Amino acid sequence: MVTSNRPVPTIMTTAVRIFELSLGQMLWSRRSVFLAFIAAAPVALAGLIRFATFAEPRLLPQINGERLDGTALFGLMIWLLYVRFIVPVLGMFYGTSLVADEVDDKTITYLFVRPIPRGAVLIGKYLAYFVCTALLILPSVVLVYFLLVPIGGGSIGRSFPLLAVDLGVLAAGIGSYGALFAWVGARLKRPLVVGLVFVFGWEPGVLLFPGYLKRATVAYYLQGLVPHTMPQEGGVNILFQVFQEVPPVPLSLAALAGVTLVGVWLAARATETREYVLEQ
Amino acid sequence: MVIAADHVSKWYGQVIGLNDVTLEVSPGITGLLGPNGAGKSTFMKLITGQLKPSKGTIRVLGEPIWRNPALYYRIGFCPEQDAFYERMTGLEWVSALVRLNGVSGESAMALARQAIEMVDLADAAGKKIGAYSKGMRQRIKMAQALAHEPELLILDEPLAGMDPLARRRTIRMIKDWGRSGRSVIVSSHILHEIESMTSNILLINQGRILAEGNVHQIRDLIDEHPHTVHVKADETRALARALLADADVLSLKFESGALVVQTGRPDAFYSRLTAIAASGEFGAIHEVTSPDDNLQAVFKYLVK
Repeated sequence: MVTSNRPVPTIMTTAVRIFELSLGQMLWSRRSVFLAFIAAAPVALAGLIRFATFAEPRLLPQINGERLDGTALFGLMIWLLYVRFIVPVLGMFYGTSLVADEVDDKTITYLFVRPIPRGAVLIGKYLAYFVCTALLILPSVVLVYFLLVPIGGGSIGRSFPLLAVDLGVLAAGIGSYGALFAWVGARLKRPLVVGLVFVFGWEPGVLLFPGYLKRATVAYYLQGLVPHTMPQEGGVNILFQVFQEVPPVPLSLAALAGVTLVGVWLAARATETREYVLEQ
Repeated sequence: MVIAADHVSKWYGQVIGLNDVTLEVSPGITGLLGPNGAGKSTFMKLITGQLKPSKGTIRVLGEPIWRNPALYYRIGFCPEQDAFYERMTGLEWVSALVRLNGVSGESAMALARQAIEMVDLADAAGKKIGAYSKGMRQRIKMAQALAHEPELLILDEPLAGMDPLARRRTIRMIKDWGRSGRSVIVSSHILHEIESMTSNILLINQGRILAEGNVHQIRDLIDEHPHTVHVKADETRALARALLADADVLSLKFESGALVVQTGRPDAFYSRLTAIAASGEFGAIHEVTSPDDNLQAVFKYLVK
């Protein structure tokens, strides 16, 4: 018979076990199916653009008298669709529900009556979220890349390092948004409302104005890592004026790492101390 | 002492779940008996460290339980709620939970198999939990609670929804567990169930412990009241005819596919039902449940 003198396994050992238990559940959840459709939308759009420009190359917009090539289109999609929409939205939907899903399904009891720190449950689930979201988003980016870059004679081989950087940026976004929303989810009663306000209200709103407030967003630091140079003309120029002020890369990396680590730590701590009352 | 509660109260906002409870539970099998909303689940959640007392202290196996994960090596808990990872098989689920007790892959699998055999589910171990019947789900919940061989087994309404044979086997298993020197705390709203496992009970109602000790005095009271049982079976009408032949059945009716029986002698009735289930005479008996209004009537008597 065992006794409680036996030490509790380390937080990372148990987090890995929770990760193994949670990944399959997360991958095949209804939420993942829905979010897979969101991640597939840019692929469908890229396919449509590829098909349309193949039939009629003059459909590509011109800037400074030159047509946009596939690499610029890819950069636009990374910037507008992935960094500004898909990554934050997936981070919000998964991050806020890391523990909430188990509470709603009433399966959290089985995890909380095991000899593991409660914080490990959150960390394991965060790791599962990271892998699950990366598996949804990153293949979609690669497909978009292969569909768009060859348009206008772009070279897949030459711009491949750009893709690698983009994948890294999106992974950093997945990590930091997920950590932030994991904390919101562990701390607040209506985390989704707070998440929606943050993603669709606070971040785009604050980025429009000059000043220091934008430093309280994740998007600001992600923009510092995006490698694409945006075209500068007319409406497109106006649209991207708001993104012109970008922080240096080392600051962006440090800030995103900080958001991730502090977010996960705060979320784990909130999970440790909070009482979860399951509805009967 | 297995459990020591000292002036424990628990509030959910303005609602009181448990009200100034002081008690000590000795080793062995102890039944926690009370109607729905009596505070049983709150008590169970407090002694399993899921909730923190608003006031007072709780010690389990001599140690405080709240935020003491090491104590869970010694405790197994079977919750009331019918909640699972439906896509996992029974074996995958139990072994995954055992692994959280620090047991490595192969050993976890062996312990899970052993526990699943103990609850008589070996044949269905490879099936997805989503495809399990209510009784099988109850039993797989039991398996995850006892797989790591805890000193103290805490079972919240473990017999709910089980068919008569599974019920009998589970009762026997709980008694064997107690005989092997381990402790069990089992909750139910059915006196008959608790009585079949132990004579040592805690009576709880409206967040207070009303009585502790021997079950027999309470038993005399309950016999004065008709006891209602819902039975789901393959051949409900034939079963109804057979049951009517005996004097212990006071009334019978059919309600949404189930047979609802009122009996004046629950003991005799359950024995007969188990014998019928074992004989297979009227096909399979899938589910036997009892609403808690039986006990509610007794509690009204007790608190008068």
